[in-house]
Formats: sequence, structure tokens, C-alpha cells
Amino acid sequence: MATKWKAALAWLAIAVFGFVLINVLIVVGVVDAFIENMLVTIGINIILATGLNLIIGFSGQFSLGHAGFMAVGAYATAIITSSMPTVFGFYLSMAVGILIAMGVAVIIGVPTLRLRGDYLAIATMGAAEIIRVILNNLKITNGAAGMFNIPALAGWPTVYVLVCLTTLMIVNFARSRAGRAIQAIREDEIAAEASGIDPTKWKLAAFVMGGATAAIGGSLHAVYIQTIAPSDFGIMNSIAILIIVVLGGVGSMTGTFMAAIVLGVLDTVLQSFGPLRMVIYALALILIMVFKPSGLLGRYEVSIRAWFDRKGGQHATSNSDRSE
Amino acid sequence: MPLLTVTGLSKRFGGLDAVADIDMHVDEGELVALIGPNGAGKTTLFNLLTGVTPPTSGTITLDVAGQSVSLIGKPPYQVAKMGLARTFQNIRLFARLTVRENIQAAMTHRYTENFFAQILRLPAYYRKEQLVATWTDALLTAFDLTDVADLDADNLPYGTQRRVEIARAVATQPKIIFLDEPAAGMNPEETAALTALIRRLRSEFHLTVVLIEHDMSLVMNLAERIYVLEHGKLIATGTPAAIQQDEAVIAAYLGGGVHA
Repeated sequence: MATKWKAALAWLAIAVFGFVLINVLIVVGVVDAFIENMLVTIGINIILATGLNLIIGFSGQFSLGHAGFMAVGAYATAIITSSMPTVFGFYLSMAVGILIAMGVAVIIGVPTLRLRGDYLAIATMGAAEIIRVILNNLKITNGAAGMFNIPALAGWPTVYVLVCLTTLMIVNFARSRAGRAIQAIREDEIAAEASGIDPTKWKLAAFVMGGATAAIGGSLHAVYIQTIAPSDFGIMNSIAILIIVVLGGVGSMTGTFMAAIVLGVLDTVLQSFGPLRMVIYALALILIMVFKPSGLLGRYEVSIRAWFDRKGGQHATSNSDRSE
Repeated sequence: MPLLTVTGLSKRFGGLDAVADIDMHVDEGELVALIGPNGAGKTTLFNLLTGVTPPTSGTITLDVAGQSVSLIGKPPYQVAKMGLARTFQNIRLFARLTVRENIQAAMTHRYTENFFAQILRLPAYYRKEQLVATWTDALLTAFDLTDVADLDADNLPYGTQRRVEIARAVATQPKIIFLDEPAAGMNPEETAALTALIRRLRSEFHLTVVLIEHDMSLVMNLAERIYVLEHGKLIATGTPAAIQQDEAVIAAYLGGGVHA
């Protein structure tokens, strides 16, 4: 059997195993409501951070506006499910949120993606602020008070499945023609353009893809927390997602997973420390950055396929052995 | 009709005529060299031809199946799609990508699948990746890069990086390849290997080659026709033998008034 199918099956088995494991732990009582809440938060953070890692790590565009796209998804869900409080309404709202977020990403991306580094960071931050201010002043979004009583239409199983799906799509995107193009642009835009790669098109593709996944995260956030307000989607929220990406290793999706889990657990464990919590949290961040400046995993990725290839004693003769 | 025709091409930076009123043509399958003292405008001319900088005036047309198509105003990636590939004077590789990925990235526009085939891994995706893999392996073999295929490009020795850059340019499946000082910084053995490689670009890959080079032994050895540039102007054109005897060229290189 081709290693590509073996690897795909292995990943599927891992995903199913994880799902069953959490289920069993809930039934046995090891995972209580408190830990379940932690798991869902971690899941949503993974969805948000993998999308941001695609933008920052793979296409090299420093975006500080991720919470803006999240807000689009969250408000689309809050507004639509208020008149359609069904599971269908939830998925419809998610689809609408994704489409709006993609549109917003195009509108923001076309003028700003010409900018580099810190200029782009400031421009995307400004764009996210514009979204927040608009939400703050519209009637349909209930202004600064935000929206309450959003129906609880998604529990941990939905979050789990969506984490798997979005990760799969982002990793597939990053490990294909598109991924090679955006990484080439990141490394050397002039050489990429001379090699027939349209920089604007591919940077925009990564930005739109990242924005779409942020909207998914926002939708899940809305139905899980059940209350949203514009202040939930400020610059600090964008930075919180950025921290996960940088900590895990810019350009490593495995690292993003790990960082989201480590920070989620840390955050939960530190709840009992009261005000000291933020001090310890910040210290942990500083220590990791001092001793692992490239993030927990750098650019390393877990690859079952490569493991199968090594085990089979095959040498890297075909080109696609670096995929998932 | 020549493959590439340039008429009255000029580029003015402020008060400086970097390239002034250039007329040149490149025939299909030719090996043309562009020489001239430092600062003569050779790289600027390359940048004009590959769309990196827009010219102030003049025309550049490419023969595409009997039709002449203007390249003026086209961005570099479109020029590349139309079949003009290049390398850079100071090597520009995708440093943190492997040699294999460097080559594959240059095929982005050659083998395409739609977005859903890509993220859902539909059969069309695998068919396309197979084409990419086949062509990549062929290039890795042809340029003797198989052993370093999975190393990051910035970890390679200088001469190998040059080869990767040429392989990447060939990966775009061009008609004409522009080499900007390919032998710069090479020792005599490496230069000899490069000379053989450039010959193979034409014989194996059926490319038309235009190169800028300061290494005169390489130029005289390889080129069928030479354009000589000085202060942005063409001062001579001809075969290597004719150029070696040309008084204007000798004056440009050795200083004026040799025969005065």
C-alpha cells in the first residue's frame, strides 16, 4: 500500500483515538466541565493560530489583525442564530461568516499586502480596529454591549471535528503548489516573481485562507461562550493568537498545536494563583523565548509519512515525501 | 523573425541614461553574450528585458508562434510565464527551502490544479504533483543536484547554489534564459564545468541563452554573437573574433586613445 494512504489512515486513527479518549475520560469523570472548557478553548485557539501561522509563518506576512476576522465569524453566528437557533442555522452562519471574512480579507489585503513587515502589522491592526469600531456602532450588533443568549449549538465534539478539518485543509494548502509559492515569496519576492509566481495573488490567497479559518474559530467561540462583545476582539486578542504562533515556532503547524495546548493548560493550572497568574504566564513566555528563540519546535513538523518511509528503508526518491 | 526584438530601448534614472537607445535581437537557439565595463548598464538592460524595471521608452517584443507580442508593461511574473527566465548577479535562492522545493516553486504557473483539488487532495492534485515530481527529478539529475536535493539552499557551496539557480530558471520552462554573471566568483575548474553546463542548456533543453559575463575566456569560448555596452550605449556587435579586433571595444576596456 502506498505510504500516502498509510499515513492518511494513521492520522485518521489518531484523530478517532483522540475523540474516543476524550469521550471515555468524560464518562469516567476524569474530564469535568472545567477541563472540558479548557479543551474547547485550546481547540478554538488551534483553529485561530494555524490560520495565523499560515499567514505569518508560511507566507511571511506579519498580520496583527486576526481578531478582526474572528469577530466577523462570531457576529455572523450570533446574528443569524438569534433568528435561526438550530444546528442548521449555526452551520449556515458559519458559512456566511467565512464568506464575509474572505471578502473582508480581500478588501484589506489588496492595498496592504504591498507593505512589508512592521508597516503591514500596523495596517492590519488598523483594519481589525475598524471592524471592531463598526461592530461597536451598529444596531444589529447591539453596539458596545454585545450580544447575549447565543444558543449553545456546539460542544466539544463539534470543535474537535472542526479542528481536524481546518488543520487538514491548512496543512494541505501549505504542503502544495500554493504553499511552495507563498514560501518562495517569503524567502525572496523578486526571485519568486522572476520564477513566474504572482506575489499579490498568492499572498492574498494565504491571507484569505487564514481569515476564513479565523471566522470558523469566531463562530465556535460565539456558540460556546454564548456572549460576545466588540471588546472581545481587540488588539490584545490578536496578540494572544500571535503568541501561540511565535511560541510554537513560526512556520511549524505542529508547534502551533503544542503551544496552544501548553498555554491552555498553563492558563487553567494558574487559575488558582489569582493575580500572580499573569506574572507567571508572562515569565513562562519570556523564559521560552530566551531559551528557544525560534519557538518550541522551530520549523520542525511531525510527519508520519516520513516515518513510514524511513521504516520501509526507502530513500527519498519521490518528491512528495515531505507532505503530511 | 528573431525570437526577441528590442528597439530604441532606454532607461533614464533621474539625469542618468543608464541604458540609451538599444537596438538588439536574439534569434532562436542562439548563444548571445552581453559584455562591457562595470557600470555599463548590462544588469539594467536585463532588468528591462525581464520586466523588473519599466523602460523609459522603446519596445521589446517576443515572437510567440509567429505573432510578435510586446513585453512592455508586463510584470516580471507574466514575462516569466511567456518564457523569459533569469538568474541574478548576487544569487537569489529561496534560502530556507530545499533544492527540490526551489525547483518545484518555479513550476507554480506550469502545472496547476484548482483550489479544491489542492486542499481536499482530489485525484487531480496527485496527477499534477506527479508531473511536478517527474520534471523535478529530471532537472535534479541533469544539473547533478540529486545528492543535495533535500538540503536547504542556503547551506550549499557557492558553485552549487549557482547551479540550483540555473536549474530553477530552467524549471519555469522558458524559451530564453538570461544569465547574469554566472561565472562570478568561480575558480577555473568551476568555470569550465559551467561552460559545459551552458552548452547543455542549449543542446538538451533547447534554450536560447543570453549571458552577461566578465570572464572573457568563457565569453569568447561560448558566445556566437556579442553585444558590447558602454555608458548605456551599444558600441559594437559581432562575432567574438570581430569584437576582439574592434577598436571601440579595445578603447572601452583599456582606456581611450590606444590608437590615437
